[in-house]
Amino acid sequence: MSSFNIHGVPVSNGIAIGKAHLISNALLEVIHYQLDKNEVPNEIKRLSLAMNEVRKDLLKIKKQLQKNSSDEFSAFIDTHLMILTDKNFSEKPKKIISKDSCNAEWALKKQMDFFVSKFEQIEDEYIKERKNDVIQVVERILKVLLGHPSQSNHINKGSSAILVARDISPADALQFKKHQYAAFLTDMGGSTSHTAILARSLNIPSIVALQNARDLIKNNEQIIVDGNQGIVIINPSEDILKEYQVRQNIWGIEQKKLSKIKNIQSKTLNNEKIELLANIEVPGDIQSVKDNKASGIGLFRTEFLFMNRKNLPNEEEQFEIYKSVARSMKDKTVVIRTLDSGADKLTSADTTISANPALGLRAIRLCLSEPQLFNIQLRAILRASKFGKIKILIPMLSSLSELRQTKLLIERAKKSLANQKILYNNNIKIGGMIEVPAVAINAELFAQELDFLSIGTNDLIQYTLAIDRTDDRVSHLYNPLHPAILKLIDITIKAGKKYNKQVSICGEMAGDSKLTKLLLGMGLRHFSMHPSRILSVKKQVLNSNTKKLVLWSNKILKTKESETIETIIHKINQ
Amino acid sequence: MIKKKMKIINKLGLHARASSKLTQLACSFNSKIFLIKDENKVNAKSIMEVLMLAAGKNTIIFVEAEGVDEKEAISSIEKLLLNYFGEGE
Repeated sequence: MSSFNIHGVPVSNGIAIGKAHLISNALLEVIHYQLDKNEVPNEIKRLSLAMNEVRKDLLKIKKQLQKNSSDEFSAFIDTHLMILTDKNFSEKPKKIISKDSCNAEWALKKQMDFFVSKFEQIEDEYIKERKNDVIQVVERILKVLLGHPSQSNHINKGSSAILVARDISPADALQFKKHQYAAFLTDMGGSTSHTAILARSLNIPSIVALQNARDLIKNNEQIIVDGNQGIVIINPSEDILKEYQVRQNIWGIEQKKLSKIKNIQSKTLNNEKIELLANIEVPGDIQSVKDNKASGIGLFRTEFLFMNRKNLPNEEEQFEIYKSVARSMKDKTVVIRTLDSGADKLTSADTTISANPALGLRAIRLCLSEPQLFNIQLRAILRASKFGKIKILIPMLSSLSELRQTKLLIERAKKSLANQKILYNNNIKIGGMIEVPAVAINAELFAQELDFLSIGTNDLIQYTLAIDRTDDRVSHLYNPLHPAILKLIDITIKAGKKYNKQVSICGEMAGDSKLTKLLLGMGLRHFSMHPSRILSVKKQVLNSNTKKLVLWSNKILKTKESETIETIIHKINQ
Repeated sequence: MIKKKMKIINKLGLHARASSKLTQLACSFNSKIFLIKDENKVNAKSIMEVLMLAAGKNTIIFVEAEGVDEKEAISSIEKLLLNYFGEGE
């Protein structure tokens, strides 16, 4: 067996070593196998028997229900019974078996996929969800076919099974909570996918967007999941395996040690309080914000609201979500960033594909060109501001006139609410993202007109160094320690100090504990990062003396090469 | 053959429960019964087909019946629809 690696997007940290457990959408392990022609009649019979058994089960459940349950529930069972006896549902798979000479499970799943795809084209959300009824009936039959007990207990204990799937649906997610998987790998998905959220809430490593892992990995193959770096190693050699067992142990010990500093206040040795905030993508991330004792939310990305849907979210829907986040954080800060994606993510806008999407019509530019869309979001945020400590953050500013236009629109949104006698916080703080080099260079001008500044290092690096991170051929040039980047951060922090405005970093640099001391030395006091990074950054804070670090960072700011900078940082961290 | 225009007036439209009631009712007749929405014509005796017709509230559908009890079939189905599928809204 040859060893190979696949790379994806890491969405939950940790290291897992275990056996691959391939899963189809229907949650059970449907495998395809070819039958001899003479086996076909028996296979069809096997399917009929399984369907019959499920029918009997359902009738039995219905009978039990009628005694002590509501009409509602037995109607639900009725629907399942009717689906089961529908010829479209029950006869087609039999035809597939005889035509393709495949196993019953496969035929059943093929037919289910057909129905599900049909349902997904339906506009009516309520009827669309009925695909779940079909899936549930199919699952029942599959369980019988596969000889599983009714409680789908298909995981061999030992909790070292690694789930490999095309994608995880919310319905699957509920099921998987009960099983003890050691890691999740999926072909699809991003950091806001169900997989990502579920993995983070279960605290197991997860890598998504692996493209074709489901095809490349075979059932029961040994795999290593490095959720810190986004690497999957299939059939590792003995040496690699040993190496990773060591790393896994170290990781485990580190995590244990870190959990001990959870309740300790984030203060430096010389008694300076350092604010450690969390970045979140969806309201579901709040649990891990609380688990890691973040002092607030420094960045609430709102893109998830606009993705994977046909129509744009209305004011009410947005308001409810912002309100729920503000409420659950109580008196702690919640910084809501207005829409920060390109037009390609929106259904209503033109989907002209530009050659440089990162430099195109996106973020605040898009919002200013679609004032209607922006107004809905602003009103929703303002209304929610009554329920907690909400601040507004504007992404991708590149000029003062954009900032002024935005502030004007915020004022207008306020006025329209006031006219309708709807409550909002009139003193809501407005901050700007410092991610375009033009703005960092002129940070002083922006500091004068904003309440706070938040440096988005990911984009700042990309724009300053002209590197497309997603392009494999140049991504090695992406370098947070480039002297020009440090200089821009320095300018921004100093501008904030001069005008007494809070400056934070919300890009990946804030969550990289190797850089914590450098940033503290440069004068940064507010860090916002993925919740899982908070404790390791806090550990650095607890061991730092900002007075001493200033000397180091001054030296670094005068250094010409990033290699030398790296050496110095290595020394500080020792 | 009879064909009659009807309107779905209940709040949730032809969702799972309403669909199963309609299908159950259709199955109790000997006639062939079809529902037609735009260009889609589905067998009213198949819950899968009825569900996938995706007829929400205020959809106009045609009900077509052909057979010995076609009159009765059409009038019972109309009654079910007018009665909000017994859901009260």
